[in-house]
Amino acid sequence: MAQFDLTRINCQYLDRHLTFPLLEFLCGKEIYNQQELLEYILETVNKTNMIDYTMDTRKRLNLSQEMPEELVQRKAEVLATLKQLQNEVAPIMKATDILKNGESMKDSKTFVNALQKDYNFKLEHLESAYKLAKYLYECGNYQESTSYLYFCLIVMSPNDKNYLNVLWGKLAAEILTLNWNTALEDLTRLRDYIDSANFSTIQALQQRTWLIHWSVLVFFNHPKGRDLIIEMFLYKPLYLNAIQTMCPHIMRYLATAVVINRTRRNALKDLIKVIQQESYTYRDPITEFLECLYVNFDFEGARLKLHECQTVILNDFFIVACLNEFVEDARLMIFETFCRIHQCITISMLADKLNMKPNEAECWIVNLIRNARLNAKIDSKLGHVVMGTQPLSPYQQLVEKIDSLSMRSEHLAGLIERKSKQKNQESIDSWKYY
Amino acid sequence: MSRFFANGSDSESESSEEEVQATNFNKASAFQFSDDEEEVKRVVRSTKEKRYENLTSIIKTIRNHKKIKDIPNTLTSFEDLTRAYQKALPVISKEENGITPRFYIRCLAELEDFINEVWEDREGRKNLSKNNSKSLGTLRQKVRKYIKDFEDDLSRFREAPDQESEAEDEVAAQDSDGGDAGDDSDVGVKREATEAAPKAAKSAPVKAAPADDDDSDDSIDWDSDSESETESSDDENQYQNMRERFLKRTTEKEDKDDDKRKDKRKEQKVKIRKRAEDDEDGEWETVVKGHVVEKPKMFEKDAEIDVPLVLAKLLEIMSARGKKRTDRRLQIDLLFELRDISDQHNLGTAVSVKIHFNIISAIFDYNQKISEPMKLEHWALLLEVMQSMMKLLLANADINMSESVAEEHEEYAAAPFFVRGCPLAAVERLDDEFTKLLKECDPHSNDYVSRLKDEVNVVKTIELVLQYFERSGTNNERCRIYLRKIEHLYYKFDPEVLKKKRGEVPATTGTSVEVMDKLCKFIYAKDDTDRIRTRAILAHIYHHAMHDNWFQARDLVLMSHLQDNIDAADPATRILYNRMMANLGLCAFRQENVKDAHHCLVDLMVTGKPKELLAQGLLPQRQHERSAEQEKIEKQRQMPFHMHINLELLECVYLVSAMLLEIPYIAAHEFDARRRMISKTFYQQLRSSERQSLVGPPESMREHVVAAAKAMRCGNWQACANFIVNKKMNTKVWDLFYESDRVREMLTKFIKEESLRTYLFTYSNVYTSISIPSLAQMYELPVQKVHSIISKMIINEELMASLDDPSETVVMHRSEPSRLQALAMQFVDKVTNLVDVNEKVFDMKQGNFFQRGNMGNRGDRGYNRNQNNQGGNWAGQRRGSGNRNRNQQRGHHKNQQQQHQQQQVQTIDEE
Repeated sequence: MAQFDLTRINCQYLDRHLTFPLLEFLCGKEIYNQQELLEYILETVNKTNMIDYTMDTRKRLNLSQEMPEELVQRKAEVLATLKQLQNEVAPIMKATDILKNGESMKDSKTFVNALQKDYNFKLEHLESAYKLAKYLYECGNYQESTSYLYFCLIVMSPNDKNYLNVLWGKLAAEILTLNWNTALEDLTRLRDYIDSANFSTIQALQQRTWLIHWSVLVFFNHPKGRDLIIEMFLYKPLYLNAIQTMCPHIMRYLATAVVINRTRRNALKDLIKVIQQESYTYRDPITEFLECLYVNFDFEGARLKLHECQTVILNDFFIVACLNEFVEDARLMIFETFCRIHQCITISMLADKLNMKPNEAECWIVNLIRNARLNAKIDSKLGHVVMGTQPLSPYQQLVEKIDSLSMRSEHLAGLIERKSKQKNQESIDSWKYY
Repeated sequence: MSRFFANGSDSESESSEEEVQATNFNKASAFQFSDDEEEVKRVVRSTKEKRYENLTSIIKTIRNHKKIKDIPNTLTSFEDLTRAYQKALPVISKEENGITPRFYIRCLAELEDFINEVWEDREGRKNLSKNNSKSLGTLRQKVRKYIKDFEDDLSRFREAPDQESEAEDEVAAQDSDGGDAGDDSDVGVKREATEAAPKAAKSAPVKAAPADDDDSDDSIDWDSDSESETESSDDENQYQNMRERFLKRTTEKEDKDDDKRKDKRKEQKVKIRKRAEDDEDGEWETVVKGHVVEKPKMFEKDAEIDVPLVLAKLLEIMSARGKKRTDRRLQIDLLFELRDISDQHNLGTAVSVKIHFNIISAIFDYNQKISEPMKLEHWALLLEVMQSMMKLLLANADINMSESVAEEHEEYAAAPFFVRGCPLAAVERLDDEFTKLLKECDPHSNDYVSRLKDEVNVVKTIELVLQYFERSGTNNERCRIYLRKIEHLYYKFDPEVLKKKRGEVPATTGTSVEVMDKLCKFIYAKDDTDRIRTRAILAHIYHHAMHDNWFQARDLVLMSHLQDNIDAADPATRILYNRMMANLGLCAFRQENVKDAHHCLVDLMVTGKPKELLAQGLLPQRQHERSAEQEKIEKQRQMPFHMHINLELLECVYLVSAMLLEIPYIAAHEFDARRRMISKTFYQQLRSSERQSLVGPPESMREHVVAAAKAMRCGNWQACANFIVNKKMNTKVWDLFYESDRVREMLTKFIKEESLRTYLFTYSNVYTSISIPSLAQMYELPVQKVHSIISKMIINEELMASLDDPSETVVMHRSEPSRLQALAMQFVDKVTNLVDVNEKVFDMKQGNFFQRGNMGNRGDRGYNRNQNNQGGNWAGQRRGSGNRNRNQQRGHHKNQQQQHQQQQVQTIDEE
């Protein structure tokens, strides 16, 4: 299954610390050579200050039990630096603690004023707080890091050179502490900042690409994420552009999100357009599944692809949690499409197409009919499902064609009225000067 | 015909070119310098010339008088003549050894003849006025008396009168007019040579020879000049080294030349041959001597030739540049000589480069009219000099040649050298001249092919310059030279690319696509003028499209947003844009994207003048004639023939893709009031064939497509495919594609599918159910495919049917609407149209809507209200949400394809 694995590509756009969960996840999947993977983890960890994690990895690699001299030294160093930084920040933090209880906490400006007035707060303090947060983060102490970063965010002006870094750091730390609600908040804040800041086109594209990758982590873990991911990836042109130019592989997550989101069926059409456009740069079983089902109406192909999809999803850290949902919804999709074009289906064929046993399939259909989601009857003598489709009567056609007219006309009329009012207002205003 | 050919020998064969040149000069002089006259006066002329001029002018008047039989005036002129001759006598005796000039003798002879003739004609004499007859008598007497002195000469003249007296007359006339009628360079040469010659060398190109030599004298100058220009165009092979010819001429060579020319002489072949041989000795001597004489003119005999001296000389030569009376050819010669001298004395490459560069500009100067191409041999010379200069520059890394070097900072003595000059501009001009040369000759002749062979050399030269600029050059300069290279590369097909794509050749082989990529990416990154980038993008897309890289090409088009602002570009860029679009369409077609192909080509074809839009020829204009000026400009824009896109192919691809789209559409919307034409051009073709009462078997490509379309309408795919893919069409169109078999297969596949769709649309009302396997059999398609096609039609609500799985049939649900229902539907369609239009109007005039259409619109609104009441209040979401989706998509650049591809094609309107 290695050919559909995206970890390698995804890791390019993730923070070093964010890659650890992915890599650890892979360790459990046995797609790659365990040994190599661990070595790679060790290499990555060595670049951070997480000495304990290093030790742990070494252990797993069955390297010597003893701590190498170098590591001991580094540990001491790290601790020393940490101490020093903490000392620097300590007074200000104390002050913050005191202030936190007061009223001033609500508004960042008054807060800063209070700090400056009462506690002799200087910009250097802010700088060191930022450094400390970063250091803590590198040591793997995300929880503490977030609190410092929070402080930074409140005090810092958005023009500060570190502001963007703080935002990114905050998001990463929140993700790593699995604090999805705040992570989502931070994500929105970061996105607004990127969209409004004056980046050059290329820089902006890069920032967005990173943001897209990080946000996938949040979206698939936050309850509201499934709507938001569609909203952001598919309907925000800037982000869709970024996906198309920089990282078409994100289509997998977008497609998954659309499939498991029953309420957003109309997004499917747009998604398929995008998939078709990008089909030459990126394709995997999930996008191919949709293509088979909605472009070629090749149900046999869709069935095969659905089978492949299961393994792909099982091996993808981001969407592994949605496996069951995905399969269920994909089946429903196949069945819906089937019903739309068929008048009469044999149950055995249906079961075949849905990767189910005939009994199961029958049960499933019965459930669907009972829940009134399907207008059909089962003919158990022949083993058929007969759709209760009604041919579209001319009246219906007529109604369908004109039903939107009143809306549109009213809308237009409203616009015109508003305009005319405005005009009159203006002309009255201009008279006032005489 | 040249008037300078004294002996008139070669004129028949060679004149045409010469004449052009001659007129050029005259024209030029007519426009230039108002101080023309003064300059003429300033020229120092020898006594001989003055006298001769005098004589010839009088002879001319006599001749005129004779023509109108004005005898009294002839008499006075004759008297003037004798007096003038008397004056000229010392000069004649001195210069010509006392032999009377031939033209003088001739005049006398003619005069005598004239008198005799008039005298003889008694009837006529009686009618003469008194004054006339009296003068005639006097004249006769005087002439008789005067002639006695020239008895000998006359008799000799009568023995061998000149063959072409006319020609000589002309010469004489020209000689006399020379002063004011914009003295042309050749006379100038003669004079210069005359002056330069030391007095002692009497046998030099002075008219020391007896009267006979007078002609040959003129012809000497001409021979020496005309050879270089005309012969090499007569037979290029002959041409070896220009310079060699200028410096030393061997008689053998001349002989050979003469031989060549001889073939073309039509009359008086033998005589002239004799003459030529007679003349040759003298002739060669003179020329050689002329050059021998020139050398000391360059430098003092024993002057020590060093860098400053050569530079000074160079400056001296070049300072004459652009002046009215400078002989541009001589300048080139001098420069070549200077180069040789500097090479002989090892003055260093920097000096040599400088001289090279000046030679280049001198050659460019030679051609004064920008719109006309250079002469081929000049261009070849230019190419050679250019190449040798670039080789020098490349071989010596310590020479810096650029425009940014100021005159005073030039450095020739020691490394690093600095030379002022711009090889970039030179190579660009060279390239432009090459294009002009190509456009000049008939594209179907061998000439064109042989000239096209030089393209390789041009590319090589560009490559050399490119290397130079890659070593040392600003980004801007590099961009410019890259663009030059791109423009020579983009339209060439490289089969390696496709082979590589299929993995037939190793992945390491370099292909033109990669080269293009490299060059273009540099330009994208570094260019700061918009034009170069635009052109690079267009060429890049063109190249991709040519090699079937459809997705890359498409993405480049969409991402560059060129469609939005191509209107503002210059005509040349717009032409390139149109070419790119045409090629993109072809590529889309080959890559099975019929719809895209149609979109790309529709704007080109709908105007009906793709030829003009692609700059592949001028069409006659019906409404207004082009002015000469306009025509010239338009001609300049035309593409050279080898870059043309086959128009028939283009049209065929367009029509076929229109057919594939249009026919099923017609079938599906047979009774639809809102049906729109997809392709107007295709409709026209279809209709015009329908109008014919009798349709024969198809002949032309268009007829084939129309016949195929008709076959497709009844779902007869086999006939349709036969009309599109057959022997005739193969030779006409399809074989022009690189992988024609694949294209044909693809075509057949599409025809099958679309025919099936058409069949279902057309005949669904006669079936209640159709079996899928039998459909598959009918259309020779796999059952899977038929199933998929029908499914798609059902989902898109094109076909009112559903599948019955157990029996593998399609069950039709379509019920024919009653008349009332059908009318109601039509009515609804119209109302919907109205609303659409209203919205559009509102969108369009949002700004100043209320100043104008207030009253008219109120009525409309009321009308809508009524409709709404009738329709009830089913405020459905469908249309609304559809609209929203559409609007949202508008932002996505890739989704925009549809909108984007409705670009306006640029009409190359005249500025």
